[in-house]
Amino acid sequence: MNNEKHLEYQRFNLTLRIQHVILMVTFLLLAFTGWSLKYPETSLEHAGWWLRMWGGPKTAGQIHRIAGVTMVLDFLWHCIYIAYALLTGKMKFHPSTTIVPLPKDIMDAVHNINYFIGLSKTKPKFGKFNYIQKFDYWAPFWGMAIIGLSGLVLAFPTKAAVLLPLWSVNWIWELLFVLHSDEALLAITYVFIMHFYSEHLKFKNFPMSMTWITGRIPVEEMKHEHTIEYELEFGKDKGEEK
Amino acid sequence: MRRFLATVFLWLPLLLFAYSVNAETCLVCHSVMKGKVSTEKGTFIELNIDEGRFSKSVHGGLECTMCHKTFTDNPHGSPAGEVSKNITGLASLISHKVKTDPLAYASCVECHEDIYKSLSESVHGKNIMEKKEKDGPLCLDCHGSPHYIMPASSEESRVNKWKVVHTCGGCHEKKELAEKYNFGTHIIEKYDESFHGKKHKLGHAGAPTCVDCHGAHAIKKWDDPASPVSWENRIATCSKCHEGANKKFVAAITHKPVGKDNPIPFYGEKGLIILTAATLIFVIVHVFLEIYADIRDHVFRKKEEPHE
Repeated sequence: MNNEKHLEYQRFNLTLRIQHVILMVTFLLLAFTGWSLKYPETSLEHAGWWLRMWGGPKTAGQIHRIAGVTMVLDFLWHCIYIAYALLTGKMKFHPSTTIVPLPKDIMDAVHNINYFIGLSKTKPKFGKFNYIQKFDYWAPFWGMAIIGLSGLVLAFPTKAAVLLPLWSVNWIWELLFVLHSDEALLAITYVFIMHFYSEHLKFKNFPMSMTWITGRIPVEEMKHEHTIEYELEFGKDKGEEK
Repeated sequence: MRRFLATVFLWLPLLLFAYSVNAETCLVCHSVMKGKVSTEKGTFIELNIDEGRFSKSVHGGLECTMCHKTFTDNPHGSPAGEVSKNITGLASLISHKVKTDPLAYASCVECHEDIYKSLSESVHGKNIMEKKEKDGPLCLDCHGSPHYIMPASSEESRVNKWKVVHTCGGCHEKKELAEKYNFGTHIIEKYDESFHGKKHKLGHAGAPTCVDCHGAHAIKKWDDPASPVSWENRIATCSKCHEGANKKFVAAITHKPVGKDNPIPFYGEKGLIILTAATLIFVIVHVFLEIYADIRDHVFRKKEEPHE
C-alpha cells in the first residue's frame, strides 16, 4: 500500500501531450487577439493597451491567423493520429477507457450532481474519462471544427468564395461571422470556468495538475478518480492484496 | 504744414487698408467680435472668427472677399463687384437649403468646380438641387465650418479616416430620413458589427470606411449602375483590397440587419445563443455545486471513503 502512493500510471503519451501544448498555446493566442475584435468598443479608442500588447490591430490579426492555422493543423494531426492508432490496433475501443460519450455518462452526471447536493452518499465510478473530461474533449473538438472552418473562410474569403455554392451566398457569410465569434465566446468562457476549475483550482490539483507535462497520474488518485479503469488495469482486488 | 503732414500720416494707413482689403483687415474686428447677428431671413451669423484656426486651415491663405463677395443687409457693401454666373446659378439652386448667404456658400465652386460637378450629379446633390429637398449634405455639412476646413488627412477634419463614419452617420442613422428616402435603417450599426467596422474601430488603417467603397462627392445610390457598389461595379470595387473577388464573395456585405427573411443566420444565431447560454448555465451550476461538495468533503468528510 505504501509503495503504491508513489506509483504513477501513464495516462497520455508524448504525442498527445505535445498536441495538447500546441492546442493550449494557440488557444490562448487566439482568445487574446480575437477578443479585441469581438468587443472593439472595450479596447478603448484606436489603440487600447490590450491591443497594443499584441502589436496593434494589424499584427494581432496576423498572430490570430498564424495561431488559427497552427491549431487547425494540430487538430488534423490529432484526428489522423487517433485514426492511425485505432486502425493499427495500438489503441483499442473499450467502454471503460473510451472518450466517446455513452449513456452511462448521463447516469454518472445525475449521480454525481446528486452526490454534490447530498442526495447520494456515493460518488459514481468513472472510467478513464469522466463525463466532464469527455465534455472537455468534445467541446474543443466541435469548436475547432466549426471555428476552424469558419475561420479559414474568413481568413481567405476570396479563395473560399470560389468553393461556396451560389445558392448559399445570401446567408452563409452572416452565418459564418456569427458562428465564428459566438462559438469562440462559448469556448473561451467554457475553458476559463470548467477546465480551470477541474485542472487548476480543485484542492487536489492546485495550482495545477501535472498530468499535462508528465502524462502520468498517481495510481492512488487513479483508484479514486478513475476506478473502473483502475480495476480494468490492475484487477479489482490488487490494492487489498498488497 | 506740420498739421497737414500729420493728417497725411494719419490717413495714409487707413487709405492703404481701403485699397487692399485682405483677411487681416476683416480680422481686425472679427477676431475679437463675439456673438451672433440675425439676418432678415431669421438665421444667425456667427461674427467671431478664430484667427489661429482660420490661418491654419486649408483656406487660411485666402481673402475673406473671395467668398464673401456681396453683402446685402449689413455695413460692408459689396467689395468684389460682379459675381460670376457660375456662382449665382449655384446659389439659386441651393438657396432653399442655405438660408444665410447662399452666394458665399456657392463660392466654393469657383475653385472646386470639378467637385461641384460630381456633387451635383450625386444622389445627395440631386436631392437638393433637382428635387429641391433640404435633406442631404452640401460642402459644409461634411467638411464643417468654411473658415476652419482642414485637409482630409488631418486629425481635426470631420471627413478623416476615423471620423467620416460618424459624419455620414449624422444623417444615415436618422430613422425618419431612412424612411423618407428608403435607405437601410441599420447601416452604421451593421458596419460597426462587420469585420471592416470592427477593424476600423480598432485603428486598422487598412479597414475601409463608407467612402472607400461608396465614393465621396460623386456618391450614388447603391442600385444605380454608376455606383461603385452596384452589382455591375462591385467586383471591381472589392478587388481594390480583395484580390480575386468574385460574384459570390461580393455578396458578403449588405449592411442589412438579419431578419426572418434570412432564416438560416437569423435562427442560427438564436440557436447559438441558446446553446451558449445553456452550456454556460450548466457549467457554472456544475462548478459551484462541485466547489460546495469539494469544500464539504475536505472539511467535514476527511476520513470517509465515499465510494460504493
